[in-house]
Amino acid sequence: MKAQEPHPPRFLLKFFRWFCHPELQKYIEGDLLELYSERLTKGSKRKADWGMAGDVLLLLRPSMIRPVQSVDYINPHDMFRNYFKVGIRNILKYKVFSFINVFGLAVAMSLCMLIILMLADQHRYDAFHEKKARIYRILTDYEGSRQAYATSPYPLAAALKTEYTVAEDAVTLMPGVGGDASYQQRVATMRGYFADPSFFHVFSFDLVQGDKKTALTAPYSVIISKTLANQLFEHENPLGKVIDFSDRQLPFPLEYDGLGAPPVNWGSFTVTGVMDEGAYKSHLAFDALVSTSTRQALINEKKAEDLSNNWEWFYRAYTYALVRPDKNEYDLNTALADLVAHKYANLKFDQVKGFNLTGQALTDIQTNLQGNDVNNRLPRIGYYFLSILAAIVMVLACLNYTNLSTARALTRAKEIGVRKVTGANRTALVFQFVSESIITSLLALGMAVMLLLFIAPAFKGLWVNQYLNFELPSSFEVYGIFIGFAMVIGIVAGLYPAFHLSLYQPIKALKNLGRSGTGKLGLRKALSVSQFVTSLFFITTAILIYQQFKHYLEFDYGFTSKNIVNVQLQGHDYRKIANAMSTVPGVSTISATDLIPAGNTNNNCDLRKVNTTGDYFTMGKLTTDENFITNLDLKIIAGKNLPVVSDSSSRFIVVNDAAVKKLGYAHPADILGEVFEAKGGGELLEVVGVVKDFRYKLLINQDEIEPLVIQNIPSSFAFLNIKIESPNLMATVGKMEQTWKRVDAVHPFRYQFYDQQLASMHQGVFDLVSILGFIAFLAITIACLGLLGMATYASERRTKEVGIRKVLGAEDASIALLLSKEFMWMIGLSIAIGAPLSYFVNNLWLQSLPNRVEFGMGILTLGVAILLALGLVTIGSQTWRASRAKPVDALKVE
Amino acid sequence: MKKFQLGEFEEVVLLTVGVLYPDAYGVSVKKEIEERLSRKVSVGALQSALKRLEDKGYLKSSEGEATQERAGRPKRYFTITALGRKAMEYTKRTRDELWADIPKIALHPKMTGI
Repeated sequence: MKAQEPHPPRFLLKFFRWFCHPELQKYIEGDLLELYSERLTKGSKRKADWGMAGDVLLLLRPSMIRPVQSVDYINPHDMFRNYFKVGIRNILKYKVFSFINVFGLAVAMSLCMLIILMLADQHRYDAFHEKKARIYRILTDYEGSRQAYATSPYPLAAALKTEYTVAEDAVTLMPGVGGDASYQQRVATMRGYFADPSFFHVFSFDLVQGDKKTALTAPYSVIISKTLANQLFEHENPLGKVIDFSDRQLPFPLEYDGLGAPPVNWGSFTVTGVMDEGAYKSHLAFDALVSTSTRQALINEKKAEDLSNNWEWFYRAYTYALVRPDKNEYDLNTALADLVAHKYANLKFDQVKGFNLTGQALTDIQTNLQGNDVNNRLPRIGYYFLSILAAIVMVLACLNYTNLSTARALTRAKEIGVRKVTGANRTALVFQFVSESIITSLLALGMAVMLLLFIAPAFKGLWVNQYLNFELPSSFEVYGIFIGFAMVIGIVAGLYPAFHLSLYQPIKALKNLGRSGTGKLGLRKALSVSQFVTSLFFITTAILIYQQFKHYLEFDYGFTSKNIVNVQLQGHDYRKIANAMSTVPGVSTISATDLIPAGNTNNNCDLRKVNTTGDYFTMGKLTTDENFITNLDLKIIAGKNLPVVSDSSSRFIVVNDAAVKKLGYAHPADILGEVFEAKGGGELLEVVGVVKDFRYKLLINQDEIEPLVIQNIPSSFAFLNIKIESPNLMATVGKMEQTWKRVDAVHPFRYQFYDQQLASMHQGVFDLVSILGFIAFLAITIACLGLLGMATYASERRTKEVGIRKVLGAEDASIALLLSKEFMWMIGLSIAIGAPLSYFVNNLWLQSLPNRVEFGMGILTLGVAILLALGLVTIGSQTWRASRAKPVDALKVE
Repeated sequence: MKKFQLGEFEEVVLLTVGVLYPDAYGVSVKKEIEERLSRKVSVGALQSALKRLEDKGYLKSSEGEATQERAGRPKRYFTITALGRKAMEYTKRTRDELWADIPKIALHPKMTGI
């Protein structure tokens, strides 16, 4: 084509080439040019141009547009190798930056990995059931409940099986077996469920000995765990042996202190199976399964209640349904809704309003704790809380990477320029930088795994874990997830720098004209400031919660808990144990109560003045013996102590000061001799004394001291409060244990020091401090690492400037200040934003906490001081070094 | 179910490619249609029709020579495949059958005045 010949507008062809499918491009372009030259011969250039523009525009249609991915397939293998090599070299060349990046990512990753481990651990539960995808636990809920209950009405399973087709099978697990099993001279505690033969059809538990099909059929059959078998039979074969069982109503499946009734003999049971409970990781755990058919016999002997037609009590049994293969959760819920509509239409009880039953998938149970659940687990909210914390730290670490990588853009600019000149397109560069950040994050993964070796045992050592039982074993799948996770983090962290760096124009990059614009510096500063704001927030929150924890520990309860040992009566008569214990040398006074004041449990009662018709007043209730008030050093401010009573009459009560006011009396003395009646009838109650207010509820649950009634009902006592006067506490407790053994050889002596018991109530708060403190530490570490990187880079870049300034006579200190100014300003801004933010957010939740500490200037100042100190040390270390460098060296740079 | 998917414009293009054998390429097909049917055909419409026909297997293409007025870009010549021929025959046959079955009176209603 000759130069002077008119040619079509270049941008039209360029546009056409840009959008056109590469396979068709040259042919159609030929057609277009041919048409163009023909048009030229017929009319003016302008007309031809317009004609072509129309053609090009009309070509812009889906069938003509190039596909999104490139269609040139060049073997990329060599390029990958090059990226990898350059990536490794870059990491090795800039060791400080690489270390900061790798370490920051590793710290955050280790935390995320911990949570992955936790979830993986929970996921292993109930994975062994063959039909796990079809098993649902039925939950009960009603209007106004705090959460759904894991329990459901006893007759539900039977109704589902007989009246509906949705379930292939269903099993009721009824707790209520809790007592002592004995064989010849050996005795062991046995807790478990009543279960019917469907149990083995629904679940995939297996028996080591015995026949699954018949083991739960006959009355008085029992399947026992291997541990229990070893305790009772040692080396004998347990199968077919007969054991005696007395039920003591031990709490099951959740264990808590203090309860247990006098033994009731249930008779002899035949062992029909042995289960290796250690082989199964399940949310269900038990020592024994007793055949449900036994219940009928027990009901006949009036040792158990008949619930087979009771639809109102939904808190006594667990129902598991096995849905037919062709049905799903929706069908199950429809059937349950229909069942509720029929069965509950004419029932009247407290929770009937909004009563509903729903299925909960078996695989969902372990991570979704419900009310009345079978064990203590981390509730779902806990996972959310931990995940959010981990995510925040992870984002901080990714920001660090982004920040440092974009800050170092200039050092890479030449490389980018050369690559672009030799034909790399932007996609290739983005790919290169992302692959580099993936290499970094994989290195971080290696370091994180090592960090995890330290974090995981620390986590397992937390107080709460004795209830949660996290095991955190690792497996190949978990490591697979880790690697996938690291890759994702690599991509997330590297994406912005990759797009940012690949944007450089080759000519500018090669001439090294680029000083990154202020806009980008602004972004980096914003990222850094947000890191410090987050850090400050975590630091102050951790300090605040620690203060709160200390406040609870040092709290004045209004009674003496020192040197008092609370002993569980375990169903024994309190007088028998008290008499025995009073002979132990070193014991001074003994009292008895039904529950531990200021502990986990409370009772209530409703009172009003006798012969009136007003409203009842709800008050806390404590039953104690006559020694309680003196034993705990409670102060009687009017009247006298509780009198000694017989089992038949408990007419006399003592109330606290708050109750006096609540019941409408001006002075404590006015209430003496007044007679009250309790809701639901019973004995009339006469006030004989008033005690000064003391804390009888958990501090975290109660702000004001509420009204309290103390009554002497010996049959309800579950604890002895034994005061020890001898200085050697442990020796006395040892003697008490020997005394206990003489009275009850079977059950172990259970006791707790009262002051430690009260402190342990708030141990969970301390765990929160540990977790938050650790997160704060991670956040500040990451933020400081980022700052260190930026300060290092800034001082390196300004080496020459520093040299010139020094030659011209600048002082070391003034140069250090010059270099630090920018960063100090950033920290200042972070404090200006972070301190008020932390103040408001923390006060938000603090307001709803009873017995709180004040979140004041002290905590804020401490937090700010920590942040300032760490930040200044970080900046100072770099700028000071730079300012002290010899000017000659500085000027020789490059 | 239609046996052969062939739109009106596609049919015209297919027939024209046949007419121009062996010289059917973008510009020649466009000109031929514009001349014979006296309608404007845009390059875009034509090219996408050709692509569709090729995707359906009614046409096949081969790279031809480059000429000066095309600034060295090669031509792309189209020929009808066996499947394309079947599609054309099928379309023609169905049209003929329809024509044959129209009663005369339908086309000449005036002749039946009462």
